[in-house]
Amino acid sequence: MSRKLVSIALLALMMLALALPVTSQTMGEMVPPIIVHSVTQAERPIEYETTRLVVENMRELGLEVEHRAIPWAQLIDEIWYSRTVDSAAADRPFQMTHWRMVGRPERSDPDEFTYNLFHSSVRDGGYNFIGYNNPAYDALAEAQRVEVGDREARLDIICEAQQIIRNDMVNAYFIHPLTPQVVNTAVFNPDSITTQAGIGVHNFWTWIGIEPTAEEGKTLITSTTSFLNSFNPLEIAGDAPSRVTEMTWDRLMRINPIGVPEPWAAESVVWEDPLNVVVTLRAGMKWHDGEDVQSDDAAYSFEAALAGTMQTKEGEERFQPEAPDYYPFASNVANIEIIDDLSLRFTLNTPSAAFETSSLAKLNLIPKHIWEPIINDLLTQDDADVDSIQEEIPIGSGPFKYVAFDVNEFVFLEAFDDHWARPQIDAWIMNVLPNQEATLGQIQAGEMNFLWEWPGDPGVLQNIVEENEHLDLFSAISIGFNYFAFNVRYAPFDDVTFRQAVAHTIPQEFIIDNIFNGLAAPADSFVSAALEYWRQCEDLPTYDFSIEGARALLEGAGYSWDDEGRLHYPGN
Amino acid sequence: MNRGVAYYILGRFLQSVMVLWIIVTLLFLLFRLAPSNPLASYIDTTFTKQQEAALLARFGLDKPLGEQYIIYLVNLLKLDLGDTFSYSGKTVLDILGADLPNTIYLTLTSLLLAYAVGVLGGIVMAAMRGSAFERIGTTFTLMTRAAPQFWVGMLLLTFFAFQWKLLPSSGIGPPMVRYRWETEWDKLMSPVFWRHMILPTFTLALYLHGLPLLLMRSNMLEVLDQDYVTMSRLAGYSEWRVMIQTAARNAMLPVLTALTLGIGYSIGGNVVIEHVFSWPGLGRTLVRAVQQADYPLAQGAFFLIAVIIVFMNFIADILYSLLDPRVGASAQAQVS
Repeated sequence: MSRKLVSIALLALMMLALALPVTSQTMGEMVPPIIVHSVTQAERPIEYETTRLVVENMRELGLEVEHRAIPWAQLIDEIWYSRTVDSAAADRPFQMTHWRMVGRPERSDPDEFTYNLFHSSVRDGGYNFIGYNNPAYDALAEAQRVEVGDREARLDIICEAQQIIRNDMVNAYFIHPLTPQVVNTAVFNPDSITTQAGIGVHNFWTWIGIEPTAEEGKTLITSTTSFLNSFNPLEIAGDAPSRVTEMTWDRLMRINPIGVPEPWAAESVVWEDPLNVVVTLRAGMKWHDGEDVQSDDAAYSFEAALAGTMQTKEGEERFQPEAPDYYPFASNVANIEIIDDLSLRFTLNTPSAAFETSSLAKLNLIPKHIWEPIINDLLTQDDADVDSIQEEIPIGSGPFKYVAFDVNEFVFLEAFDDHWARPQIDAWIMNVLPNQEATLGQIQAGEMNFLWEWPGDPGVLQNIVEENEHLDLFSAISIGFNYFAFNVRYAPFDDVTFRQAVAHTIPQEFIIDNIFNGLAAPADSFVSAALEYWRQCEDLPTYDFSIEGARALLEGAGYSWDDEGRLHYPGN
Repeated sequence: MNRGVAYYILGRFLQSVMVLWIIVTLLFLLFRLAPSNPLASYIDTTFTKQQEAALLARFGLDKPLGEQYIIYLVNLLKLDLGDTFSYSGKTVLDILGADLPNTIYLTLTSLLLAYAVGVLGGIVMAAMRGSAFERIGTTFTLMTRAAPQFWVGMLLLTFFAFQWKLLPSSGIGPPMVRYRWETEWDKLMSPVFWRHMILPTFTLALYLHGLPLLLMRSNMLEVLDQDYVTMSRLAGYSEWRVMIQTAARNAMLPVLTALTLGIGYSIGGNVVIEHVFSWPGLGRTLVRAVQQADYPLAQGAFFLIAVIIVFMNFIADILYSLLDPRVGASAQAQVS
């Protein structure tokens, strides 16, 4: 009897022991279906294919995932304008999307990405559309801005910021594209082509330094697939027009080939203290119309960017700048004092480490005698700003001047003989060529001698370079990057472990070798490997491609799978 | 012109206006209900809510839909197609005004070539009915009619522009020459312009010549069976004279109608050719405007194309009433 009782008790205990893990780890709700956005295959095949691959891998985690590929103009509605439940332009807030940032010279300073991509103040309307909100990170993003004198101290802050973002996995970076450009080296000296860190060979330094070795090379002919929209020194009208405006309008400083701002139209830039900087212009500079460039022009270039009126909209009074694109880059300027014909002093509102890169090397110098009447006229109108202005032949002081342009077709620039850095070539032409095959044909046939952009398969370029002796391929790691952005406001992406698990489903090496044909570098941060100085940090956490690793991570955090293999949240 | 015909023309005119109004309304709604955002090209890391509000206000997109519609209609009546979203300081009319002549030159030249070849080819094929020449010719025509235009265009580009380097591949002229053209007349007088037009014209004409050729051929075959043709032959006229003077003149009427309508449809239908040859015309701008969700520009381009098509239909109707007395008579019967 007692033996029987003991046996029953033992049996009961065993059953209890067996049952315990089950009851302590009850299964939570099933993870709901996920939509991953990207642009369409026709628009950018590389981004589409990458997304398709990752979506398939995510399904291996037991997730129901839909890949929604839509045109860019529509994607903006479903991502940018669909951040929260209350404000979604689409039927619900976005969850995860493929996204990319492109490289631009002024992005050589890490400030723009460090602050604008993640600071909580730009969560509702700005570029922090993923909704990241971390007070500790905000403090770092603010601190790196005011660390003016001590570059190393700023580096420490930038490194810490990168660590936090990589740990929190709010954006899953996977590649920095290698921007491929093809140059006809039968007409240009290849040694005279400059690679700018993070930008590539199609940069300002190449345009002024490239040496023709044949008559055809005296005119550099390139093309763009996008229309040119406008050439206005106070408007940012897209990638191609921006690259043209930086050739035709000088700036006080320019980002040099290794990514550091150096004096350009300014002979010297001297910081008196963290709030005051004295800039002295080079002597003898001319506008394209023959007038002298003086310090009041330089001052006016900033005043024009700051000009605006108070306007009342829907009962709310707010400041309406006349140059909304450039206002943010000038808004830290509290006062400009003209010292003499060539010198002026800027006084800032707050110390800013990025002032040289994002203001002095960003704002175009504009002739006061042309722009003052235009801006004064705009100030009297409520519904117009500088975006409505297009000079017939724009006047700048840059090393190239406008001969003619048609925004739908071409821009034709000539070297400005009176410039102290006169280019080696005589003319620079950019044609609008929306047909990619025609672009390929023209570079091979010699109708074009510098292939500027190639949105298609990079392998195609490698092939034509192999087949044509007169062509050479140049490539450089971009400041830009491709990544998957998660809406961290809502489940399941509000859980850092879940995001990390998704990061493990991205086959980085496979994507680089097969989709980019090797023309990409692995990315793990918003600071590109091209910006070597800002990457002197301790190693960032890695997320190797491993479905098993992802599953183990989820399991460790209490996620589980049902009989049909579908992923469930942790219970309780 | 009798009263019937006048009523008929007035009726057709009012009908055309109604059709345009419906098209305009559909265009307005389609673009605003389409899931794309006109601010897409402005999104940048430094893009703020303030900029967004300013842009929406500048484009008038902050107003209620009904108000936008009324403003749109009133402006249209004043022939004001608005400002584009994506080009600074340019109105829709500026952009389309620059594009339209290029599209018209390309279309008219191609149509003339296509109809000249088509009509003559149709006559020859009817005359040589049953021969190997006719069989090969018809097959070739059907092939060019069925082949995608972009494919034909790319083939011609590959050989004539890139391999043999005989002809330029894109645009209407190199910028070094183009910037000297101050007027349309300078452009038309420039051999460079016509050289650039050869490949796109040929591609478009290859596609367009099928309709007049097949139409002419079948009309000719029909006419050749008529008694008056037989009479002409019996009268001893030469076969050539019978074909051209007697048969072809009668067989050509439907072809002329097709040409009138063809002008309208071709002007709007050059999208593919203009893209392949980077020809700065209406079709290329239209694609661009839709991609960028530039509502005013896209609406303006569609509107212009619709006006041309409706107008050419109207002309075709009038031609009918003038050429065929029965049309006017039936109209008079209806109104009396």
